[in-house]
Amino acid sequence: MNTEEKRYYFLEGLPVPETPLPGDEPAPWKKTHFVGKGLPRVDAYERVSGSAVYPSDVNFPDMLYAAILGCPYPNARVKNVDTSAASKVAGCRGVMTGSSPGADIAWRYEKKKSKIFDPHCRYEGDAVAAVVADTPYSAWDAIKAIKVDYEILPFVSDERNALASKAPAVHPGGNQVGKPQTYERGDVDKGFKEADVVLEAEYRTECELHTPMELHGCVVRWDGDELIIWESTQGVYSVQTMVAETLGLPLAKVRVIGRYMGGGFGSKLVTSKYSIIAALFAKETARPVKLFLTREQTYLVVGNRPPTNMTLKAGIKKDGTLTALQFTCLGTGGAYPADGTWGVDWLVRDTYLCPNVKCESTDVYINAGPARPFRAPGHPQGSWALEQMMDALAEAIKMDPVELRLKNIPTYSQGRPGNMPYTSTGLKQCLVEGAKAFKWKEKRAALARTKQTGHIRRGIGMAGGLWQVGGGMPPSSIVLKLFVDGSVNLNMGASDIGTGTKTIMALIVSEELGVPLDKIQIENADTGTTQYATPSGGSKTVPSDGPAVRDAAVRVKQRLLKLASEDLKSKPEDLTVVGGYVVSQKDKSKRIKIGEIGKFKEQRVIVGLGYRGPNPVGKIIQPFCAQFCEVEVNTLTGEVTLLSFLAAHDSGRVMDRLTYDSQVIGGITMGVGFGMTEMRVLDRRTGKLCNKNWHDYKLPTSRDVPSEIVSLPLELPDAEANSIGAKGLGEPVTVPTGAAIANAVYDAIGVRVTSTPINPLQLNRLLAERRGKE
Amino acid sequence: MIDEIHREDGPSPSRLSETELAENATEGVTRRGFLASIGVGAVAVAAGGGSASARPSTEVLKPDEMAKLTLKINGRIYRLLVEPRWSLLYVLREELGLTGTKVGCERGECGACTVLIDGRPQYACLMLAVEAEDAEITTLEGLMDGQELGPVQQAFVEHDAFQCGYCTPGQIVAVEGLLRKNPDPSLDEIRTGVSGNLCRCGAYGHIFEAAQKAAKLKSGQGGKS
Amino acid sequence: MLPNFSYVRAKSVEEAVERLSAPGALIHAGGTDLLGCLRDEVFGADLLVSISRLAKLRGIEETSDGGLRIGALATVTEVAENPMIRERFPGLAQSAAEVASPQLRNQGTMGGNICQKPRCWYYRGAFHCRRKGGSICYAFGAENQFHAIFGHDHICAIVHPSDTAPILVALDATARVVGPRGARFVPLPQFFVLPNQDVEKETVLDPGEIVTDIQVPKPAQGLRTRYRKVRARQSWDFALAGVALALNFSGDKVQRARVVLSGVAPIPWRSEEVEKAITGRKLDAETIKHAAEAAVADAQPLEQNQYKIPLVQGVLEEQLTTIAKG
Repeated sequence: MNTEEKRYYFLEGLPVPETPLPGDEPAPWKKTHFVGKGLPRVDAYERVSGSAVYPSDVNFPDMLYAAILGCPYPNARVKNVDTSAASKVAGCRGVMTGSSPGADIAWRYEKKKSKIFDPHCRYEGDAVAAVVADTPYSAWDAIKAIKVDYEILPFVSDERNALASKAPAVHPGGNQVGKPQTYERGDVDKGFKEADVVLEAEYRTECELHTPMELHGCVVRWDGDELIIWESTQGVYSVQTMVAETLGLPLAKVRVIGRYMGGGFGSKLVTSKYSIIAALFAKETARPVKLFLTREQTYLVVGNRPPTNMTLKAGIKKDGTLTALQFTCLGTGGAYPADGTWGVDWLVRDTYLCPNVKCESTDVYINAGPARPFRAPGHPQGSWALEQMMDALAEAIKMDPVELRLKNIPTYSQGRPGNMPYTSTGLKQCLVEGAKAFKWKEKRAALARTKQTGHIRRGIGMAGGLWQVGGGMPPSSIVLKLFVDGSVNLNMGASDIGTGTKTIMALIVSEELGVPLDKIQIENADTGTTQYATPSGGSKTVPSDGPAVRDAAVRVKQRLLKLASEDLKSKPEDLTVVGGYVVSQKDKSKRIKIGEIGKFKEQRVIVGLGYRGPNPVGKIIQPFCAQFCEVEVNTLTGEVTLLSFLAAHDSGRVMDRLTYDSQVIGGITMGVGFGMTEMRVLDRRTGKLCNKNWHDYKLPTSRDVPSEIVSLPLELPDAEANSIGAKGLGEPVTVPTGAAIANAVYDAIGVRVTSTPINPLQLNRLLAERRGKE
Repeated sequence: MIDEIHREDGPSPSRLSETELAENATEGVTRRGFLASIGVGAVAVAAGGGSASARPSTEVLKPDEMAKLTLKINGRIYRLLVEPRWSLLYVLREELGLTGTKVGCERGECGACTVLIDGRPQYACLMLAVEAEDAEITTLEGLMDGQELGPVQQAFVEHDAFQCGYCTPGQIVAVEGLLRKNPDPSLDEIRTGVSGNLCRCGAYGHIFEAAQKAAKLKSGQGGKS
Repeated sequence: MLPNFSYVRAKSVEEAVERLSAPGALIHAGGTDLLGCLRDEVFGADLLVSISRLAKLRGIEETSDGGLRIGALATVTEVAENPMIRERFPGLAQSAAEVASPQLRNQGTMGGNICQKPRCWYYRGAFHCRRKGGSICYAFGAENQFHAIFGHDHICAIVHPSDTAPILVALDATARVVGPRGARFVPLPQFFVLPNQDVEKETVLDPGEIVTDIQVPKPAQGLRTRYRKVRARQSWDFALAGVALALNFSGDKVQRARVVLSGVAPIPWRSEEVEKAITGRKLDAETIKHAAEAAVADAQPLEQNQYKIPLVQGVLEEQLTTIAKG
């Protein structure tokens, strides 16, 4: 697309897609004019100029600042809280504990009951007291002046010890969360007997913390009996529900606004105690209250990707046919039920053809912060085991790793009951096209020819993958207003968590109505003024809300044609919209400018209500992927340099090429963190978190990422998935990354790193062990 | 502190009426007039003219007394009262409403609060406001030309060099600082130049492209995007 | 959030020294490390005495005897980018370029870099450890993967965090220190304090003393310098292990050697074993292997940091091989 077209999105005379009759589904787009291009985001200006107001930017002249005192121990009973000194601190306007009037409030973690200020703190950082003050400095002066008498209790902080007979019980009844989750198809014993090669290995992935750039928190203010919350969240309706239920307010009286938010990755799908505490303080002081957690607190109390301890046994025939997969996982959701093993076994169940599969996942309690979904929950962990095992199997039967995977491509979902087919399945194309673009065979042959002798060794690796959700689902509702001058207001509840949601939805409107992007205004993520949407997560926002936007636009067109039919004395079904005119398809001389349509001029606005329809029955919608990478390993120092990455993804239609590539780059970067730099360290002696800051907890920096990342979208048509043909992207992009790196490191130095992260600490140890054996 | 008057001389800062606040609000929907971004206009008022004067060296600023401070930010002089412990970041965001500068960690580890101090990128969270006296402070807002984006900002838009956008102001200011020192950086120099700015969304790849483009824009070679 | 303190900007070194004699007074130069420690309540301060405006403490220049004077307030960036340093002491420029992040290098000073507090997560965290006046070192028997393998003496297992200090020690630099009793010169090799000398101090500085300059002697004939740091990520990270080399070559033989390790001990760790193994020798593969083995012969690794043994060997092998090439 040339610069001219980029600047002037709207092309005169552009036809818009056929308008279906009322009640009919719109046909898939053929050639698109806006969708799929690489246009700058509709809110780019706000995001780079500083004019975008994130919740943490919200300020009021009379605003107070609140802060929360967290329990410093992983397991303790609060015996007494002395707030007398704190309330005397200069600038302090209020102190709250569980015994303050109105503060004895229940708080739920799934089925387990707790309290906002629970006298039994089962994880470090759980709320003990809170203060509100003139400045955040005064607030922390007051926090430090609170004296708490704790009964320190024994704790368990390592899930591997949680089921030991002597382990302290996090909750009465023991540390196992329900029964182990099991899955079985076929007969694995039979499968292993049929195999020519059987391999078994243990894998571990470390606990990873979300740490989005914007802190968790909110600004709260009461407007009479209406509570208004500006919260950094992935879902304003999710916050509304939790706050209304917790405080016993009608949903309609809790307005949550989160038009911009600084990242969440799953940790902001729900709210936390801070919104409740801020609301109570705001009521008590009759002032707006800002309460954002400190960076250190966000490491403790707003979720994590749980650690996993996995075993995988696999059987294979010499021709590459998988005969059996047996998988176990021990994980933890922390101190309360939080799906500690959700999704970990999914890739083993569903990715590659295998008749005999058995999985068992055990979730346990430990005295640490509860988990929350983290970008593709469970999947990078499962991939870490499965994709390394696939490589080991390939080596054992002397087959190319890509070939082995290609031999075992399913066209239906094996992991779910009923062997339901996928609406589209691009795993094969991702492997074939990705390998081609990466020059996999050439690189592999070249590496095999070269005898690497120096201390810098090069290797390549790859991994396939998929994401279990990714298809979107109802409910979603959208209001679209077409004004008489041809400009549009798009009203939707979804947050744009940085993935480009607003831009993609605007492109859908542009595509369907022929309206240029700069004539579209978007209201979003405000429960007071925008429509219901589920939180942005699960890579489902585009496939959930996109079709609803298209539906709304279609309804606007239908209404437009109906109104124009009166002016043009034609049937609506004979009319179409071209370049700002309604034109009769039978008699081209019959045309009217949209703004001249009689009833429209009177009404000034046409409103379209769009809804998300159901997903196809008996079909499964899933995105697929394969990633390839090249690394260099310094065998003297254990340093790994990522030279290049190539990501081949089948997420259906590419809605916007720029943000698509941004997702790919971002997913790989996060996968680099999962695979190479990140791990939560809990002190074994005290159970306290050692690395609750961005120096000790290491996110990848600009110098850690590959210098080259190639995004290769495989745009497979998928008319069945939904009316826009798109599947989720944000999560699959981070699923295979860690495993691909591990496979490349093995290729380079012949050392299997089965625990994350692949860093000089591990590699120096493993290389020394190998030298010791030589 | 909002009850205090943060001005050393001249008339008391006028409190904007709720209606004015609503009119000035740039974000969100006003029902009974709240404001989002500009509320702190009531707290510290930019005084035109005058120059930042050096503080008498021997003055001990006490914690319980607000100290007079003059800051020069984006070419404007601000006179205000501060506690000695207030960080430049806190003053920019919460006192002056310059919320383009973001708060990420308040411990010098993420770069979201990056500002230029005499043209060099530094972390505003690890700088006391009183230490910033006499310096030319440039924030993200200062890179704008009126309503027009500066070249680095423009390049970030074109290359989609952000996702959630929260680290973005710091990244842009870091690139601006890099290009002022090194107008034609190599990829490696760019990677190092933004290595004090974390991006959890992982937009680094596009940030590198944007920095390269910005170098071209700044040197007058716009080129095709 | 920072706790309360008073603040004064000193107008002379003398005034700073005088004010620092008050109890609870701490020096503020770049402030990057100080403010972090105050935020984390590693220690408190009643009064911050800022020396940031003392122009006399700035600057980098060649001294009359051909050495180098680095003002204590010279920023780390200034050292990394100084053309004279890059030409004559490339190892020093390399070490400065590896410090923290660009923003911190712009603000952090050289005086602060050699006087910075350790990064041990127990010391920085809410653990009343021995270095903070407590009775135990939490690192022993616990999460000690980033801790010392030398010099801890089972007292305190911090590692010295500075990247510039090891090369300055290797260069036999001297700190000029001014205090209540006037000025004194402390050779950098004697500047740092081991836990068995005083577990609550990292340097020999007495209360009220300020580093004003760092002086590096004129490079002797055939001096080659290098600094190499290995870390868990490539920016804003401290050394897992590193090596500073200042070797004088005569032809292809090492005539005089100073080898100082970073990231492995509570102080910049001079390895006389390596120096001995290479002095008078050509740096061939056998000598290097022998030197690398000698480096770790007396190491006392902890449970989680045994990887530092092969790492120290590896980084020495890599760097000695490289420096031999010229």
